[in-house]
Amino acid sequence: MTDVMKVDDLQAITEQVWQSFLDPEGSDPLLLSLLEPSGGDVAAAISVTGAWRGHVVIGCSTAASRHAASALLGVPSDEVTEDDISDALGELANVIGGNVKALLPEPCALSLPYVVATAGVRWPAVHEICRLDGMWRDEPIHITVLESTSDYQGAAAS
Amino acid sequence: MALNAQEFSWVCDLVRRESAIVLGPGKEYLVESRLLPLARKAGLSSVTEYIADAQRRPVPGTTKTIVEALTTNETSWFRDVEPFTLLTDSVVPALTASRSGGTSMRIWSAACSSGQEPYSVAMVLQNHLPGAWSYQIHATDLSTEMLTRAETGRFSQLEMNRGLPAPMLVRYFDRVGADWQVSPVLRQNITFAQVNLASALPAVPPFDVIFLRNVLIYFDMDTKRSILQRVRKLLRPEGWLFLGSAETTLGLDGDFERVVTRKTSAYRLKSGYSALASA
Amino acid sequence: MLAMVIDDSRAMRMILRRIAVQLGFEVAEAGNGREALDFLATSEEVPSFALVDWNMPEMNGLDFVTAVRADQRLRSMTLMMVTTEGEQSQIVRALAAGAHEYVIKPFTPDAIEEKLALLGVVATGADA
Repeated sequence: MTDVMKVDDLQAITEQVWQSFLDPEGSDPLLLSLLEPSGGDVAAAISVTGAWRGHVVIGCSTAASRHAASALLGVPSDEVTEDDISDALGELANVIGGNVKALLPEPCALSLPYVVATAGVRWPAVHEICRLDGMWRDEPIHITVLESTSDYQGAAAS
Repeated sequence: MALNAQEFSWVCDLVRRESAIVLGPGKEYLVESRLLPLARKAGLSSVTEYIADAQRRPVPGTTKTIVEALTTNETSWFRDVEPFTLLTDSVVPALTASRSGGTSMRIWSAACSSGQEPYSVAMVLQNHLPGAWSYQIHATDLSTEMLTRAETGRFSQLEMNRGLPAPMLVRYFDRVGADWQVSPVLRQNITFAQVNLASALPAVPPFDVIFLRNVLIYFDMDTKRSILQRVRKLLRPEGWLFLGSAETTLGLDGDFERVVTRKTSAYRLKSGYSALASA
Repeated sequence: MLAMVIDDSRAMRMILRRIAVQLGFEVAEAGNGREALDFLATSEEVPSFALVDWNMPEMNGLDFVTAVRADQRLRSMTLMMVTTEGEQSQIVRALAAGAHEYVIKPFTPDAIEEKLALLGVVATGADA
């Protein structure tokens, strides 16, 4: 199974999402690292179907998800609601996923984003194409591209 | 968190030594914001630490990185828009009218940075030069890193979003991975070379239009004057000079006459200025 | 002055609303093309511009653009698509359907403002 995209592409996409939406001043960049992937408390994902099948997942700590919602939506950190967090993470997954889709064989379609607590997520029958691990505002963030390895779509809770 | 005077002055001296560009007082915020990402990438938590590190262990690569971080501009396509409208509506018609029979138009983009300016000029000329005319754009910059990027002509999604009309995007660019690549038709009439404006300029045939935008601001008065003097010699008598929207030759070079339109201005040589209808 | 923000993502509507408000516009929101057309049918004021997502339920952005461009009453409305659809062929389709501009996500507020300025919807910041 040859990989359809490289980690460099994922990095370029992710950095641009950060520069546009989460770190416009350049004062809080996403610092990518080679450290072992750490756990996260919450994840948002989109599924891709069509000529390529898989998922694009963004996972992070609860604190990071709050920062992300605050930065993305322009809501003060202490006023961020659970819905804000879901919607913000979902939109990040959607934008990253949409840009990943542009690299994939055509035609593909994106699902709506879904948000899960990572402890509950299983990703059966997938092969990890690439991932980014890093820290943002001292909190862990990871972005993963997973390809389905069989006809079984193996989605997480929707 | 803010830089102290010693740190700021060390950075200014470094930049001036390497590029003749002067960062005056009031530019501390620029240094802070441009060097912070470099500091973080180096695993340091502040610009102060980064500077201390660079001072302790001077490494040529770091010097170059610092200079380039401080001397490159955020740039967009058709920057400030109006100069390109002036180019289309007045400059190109005036130049093609003054020389019958058609020939080649020569343009110099004298601080081409990552390439948006020369490619923007090319897009204008592709669409507005009469059939008998061809064009040649000479794109130069101090930074070899910028020149390589400009010559490659590959731009990120974010860069493509800045001021480029969507119809031009689909016409002149192709998607490559997560980026966009300029098409050969635009690329083929542009040459790229490294030029330090603060030094002697290469001997080349004169230009019809020179873009010297947003680069003079980095130089002190004497250097500005000498650059304009040298640039003037490379401008054809009926040629046009474009500066950045906040810049002027006033007080620097009396040989230029400012031509003002509703929203922008450009400069022509007084000696070559014929009584054309105002732009 | 009125602007429209049409996207099924609440987060994106919030982001785009903020940009339009900062440019001095009042904002009407819709979650899909059908809702947006319903609003336009009864709105006395024709919005200066609409920021339109592509993929939405009920009626997608492309169909919305087509419908608006077929309506003489709405011909003054500038239509800018704001979407993750980034393939060249998609942009061509949108422009052919009558969209005036196209922004691929992610974007900065500056990028949207510049594109609106290019279309004459907002004034530019620069002076001669």
